[in-house]
Amino acid sequence: MKNEVLELRREGIFCPAGGFYIDPRGKVDRALITHAHSDHGRPGHNSYLCSDTCKSLLKIRIGKDAVVESLPFGEKIKIGNSLVSFHPAGHILGSAQIRVEVNGRVWVVSGDYKPQEDQTCEPFELVKCNGFITECTFGLPVYRWLPEEKIHQQINEWWLENKQDDKPSLLFSYSLGKAQRVLAGLRKEIGSIYVHSAVYPFLEHYEQAGIKLPQVMKIERGKEYDFNGSIIIAPPAVEDSTWTRKFRSARKGFASGWMAIRGARRRRNLDRGFILSDHADWNGLIDVIKGTGAEEIKVTHGNGDALTRYLGEQGMNCSILSGASIRGEEEE
Amino acid sequence: MREFAALFHDLDSLTKTNDRLDRLVQYFKDAPGEDSIWVCWFLSGNRIKGAVKTGELRNFIAARANLPVWLIEECHDRVGDLAETISLLAGSKSKKSNLGLNDTIRKYLLPLRGQDTQERKVLLERTWDHLSADEMLPFHKLLTGGFRMGVSKGNLCKALARVGNVEPAVISQRIAGNWTCDDLTMQEILNPVGENEGRGKPFPFCLASPLQEDPGTLGEVVDWQVEWKWDGIRAQLLTTTAGGGMLWSRGEESIAESFPELLECIPYLPAGTCLDGEILAWGREGLRSFSRLQKRLGRKNPSSTIQKKEPVCFQAYDLLRMNGEDLRSLSMLERRAKLEFLMQGLPEHLPLRISPEVNEKTWSDLGKRREESRERGVEGFMLKRKNSKYESGRIKGAWYKWKVDPFLADMVVVSAQLGHGKRANLYSDYSLAVWNESGELVTVAKAYSGLTNEEIEKVDKFVRKNITGKFGPVRSVKPKLVFEIAFEGVQASGRHKSGVALRFPRIHRWRNDKKIEDADHLSTIRGFAGMNEKGKLGDGTKIDSAGNLLLF
Repeated sequence: MKNEVLELRREGIFCPAGGFYIDPRGKVDRALITHAHSDHGRPGHNSYLCSDTCKSLLKIRIGKDAVVESLPFGEKIKIGNSLVSFHPAGHILGSAQIRVEVNGRVWVVSGDYKPQEDQTCEPFELVKCNGFITECTFGLPVYRWLPEEKIHQQINEWWLENKQDDKPSLLFSYSLGKAQRVLAGLRKEIGSIYVHSAVYPFLEHYEQAGIKLPQVMKIERGKEYDFNGSIIIAPPAVEDSTWTRKFRSARKGFASGWMAIRGARRRRNLDRGFILSDHADWNGLIDVIKGTGAEEIKVTHGNGDALTRYLGEQGMNCSILSGASIRGEEEE
Repeated sequence: MREFAALFHDLDSLTKTNDRLDRLVQYFKDAPGEDSIWVCWFLSGNRIKGAVKTGELRNFIAARANLPVWLIEECHDRVGDLAETISLLAGSKSKKSNLGLNDTIRKYLLPLRGQDTQERKVLLERTWDHLSADEMLPFHKLLTGGFRMGVSKGNLCKALARVGNVEPAVISQRIAGNWTCDDLTMQEILNPVGENEGRGKPFPFCLASPLQEDPGTLGEVVDWQVEWKWDGIRAQLLTTTAGGGMLWSRGEESIAESFPELLECIPYLPAGTCLDGEILAWGREGLRSFSRLQKRLGRKNPSSTIQKKEPVCFQAYDLLRMNGEDLRSLSMLERRAKLEFLMQGLPEHLPLRISPEVNEKTWSDLGKRREESRERGVEGFMLKRKNSKYESGRIKGAWYKWKVDPFLADMVVVSAQLGHGKRANLYSDYSLAVWNESGELVTVAKAYSGLTNEEIEKVDKFVRKNITGKFGPVRSVKPKLVFEIAFEGVQASGRHKSGVALRFPRIHRWRNDKKIEDADHLSTIRGFAGMNEKGKLGDGTKIDSAGNLLLF
């Protein structure tokens, strides 16, 4: 990809007019970051720019001493010969689409996004543009999300049922974004809520941003707890670790968009899968892409073949952003 | 349908066999008989045939979801299950339906048969409008026929046995063979008394476990009845008390129509007799290869020409009933004696033989005899404990199969395909290749099983990063991974570029230590079957008069 606004370099998407990269790898001078997930906000760059609410979360990832500046959503600044602004992407707290304008031409880099409602982050904003670089994690029509209150209800019913059987409920969800979204929907009167230590550090930043979360307890190494009847939120990375062994009697669930397909749940031998995603579903992708009014669409992240062909057949100028990092499908 | 949908989803999410059994028992206790009987029928492995074609279903759902057909196929690839794909795309509009399972099947499923495409489309559209979200997947599972829900027939029998307080073996016999929901009722299945043997149903087959330890751990040789392990089709040949006869495969399908010459034995057997044995391809020269028997499989009412060209025999090795008396609780020794006595009295022209015993004094002598297996065209030994009853299913300790060691060869993974069911969305089906004379990798086999779940996940990650091309659902991958493949034999094949195909290939282990250059050569594989470079047979190979390569 090389156009009047952006081009693809080894480190990632680059804006020659502004001299900055977006979500780069390696070591660059100026990195603009869409959000604080580790495959977007990486350590090692000389300076960072992100949204105001993203800043403190990003620092957990890249270190306290990193040089990080931030902008409120919607505010335009001039970088070199480009005009840059951040717009809510609705993915996690502080997540942004980055709008770059050069000589009157506008490109938007979506990062990850979701137009569906989510009480733990700023709602998605549709940004008109000439070119749109979209994610495509769930780019097939079998992925269709239910409203989040339905899923919260399912989780609470499952928790209550397990409590009645005197069993702990161990719910795997990614530590930044998904875990907080799950927490925000829990009915605290059902029982105690515990979180794994990887989830805990993010919580105070959510509270500072005014997101209401229930009271939780952090699980400390070496301490004894009675988990029966309680719910435990832990990242999926610990699923096969020794940490999980102390929950042998627990019912296990996983909150992820991947759970839309039975095979994905059965393979993990989980008791329940909750279809809760931080990404756009198929209809979300289509609506947003069409809504931007972009003449040119570039698809990155995940399996973009089907989406690209589908939009192409509808007469849209859509292609895979070749050379960009195609992320593993497991991650969300 | 609501109760059935709940059963389906519960069985789908319960991970422990006992919990599933409890849930099934609960269903049979609560559900009306007209619904339960369908569950018995489906879980017995039956399916409604000819309701809809896969292609039609894809077209209908594409029209309904307003999506191109190729995109439905992409979805199917990802989901790995057509019923689930359709359920996800159909988009339920209804909150709840009030029809029972029986009514749903009779109103929405059975009428699809014998309709033309347009009528089926109209009927299915109506069904989709009617079904609730929870009912979608169970309905489509019934429609497409892939209905198992992880409940084996054995567990179905256990559940029914608990509901009716009847022996599982009795239940198993009552629901064996071909029946429909119109000619069997739940009362008959669960009846605490009553005998069905007049109907000519098979007994549940006793199955052998693979011998994994040293045979010496089994105790004294004299306590075991040893036979060759025949490579044919397991079957029961039986006569009813009314004077008729039946031939049942291990899958409890009636296969009498495929082997009319075996039914000619019926008038010579006493009424109420059941023989357990193996159908083998058997010519004037004796045992023939399994590939010869394949020419008779699935062919109903074979002509007399093919019966002459591809003759078969029934090799009996057990006697389960005689004169209407159930002999299964007698010891192997006693049953064998009765079997020998029965067989001695039969005329010689019948295609009926007894599986001979192999007698050796020590396990090590037997081990030596076992080396004759490939030469003889058998798969090794069967070991049957002389004091064992005839059990239902695979009971450890009664029957063992002591197979010859498989052939092994190192092969390179050259392409992969997404798996199904538990392995949906994982690249778990692989094509494997070896080097030919011109230094190309040529495929000789496909293999699905043998890796651990962790290994499959690792291979999946590798495949996703190393895809070099797409051919429909198949992804070619950069040759890098080397697997050791075990297989039982080699056959000439036009399907693989290499000209050979392997029998029962499976992954023996992942050879992380090997590079692709270390993989085996086609000549080695051919050598196992005694073929020469041109794929033609060299000297000393075994080939029968019709040009079939003998496997062993």
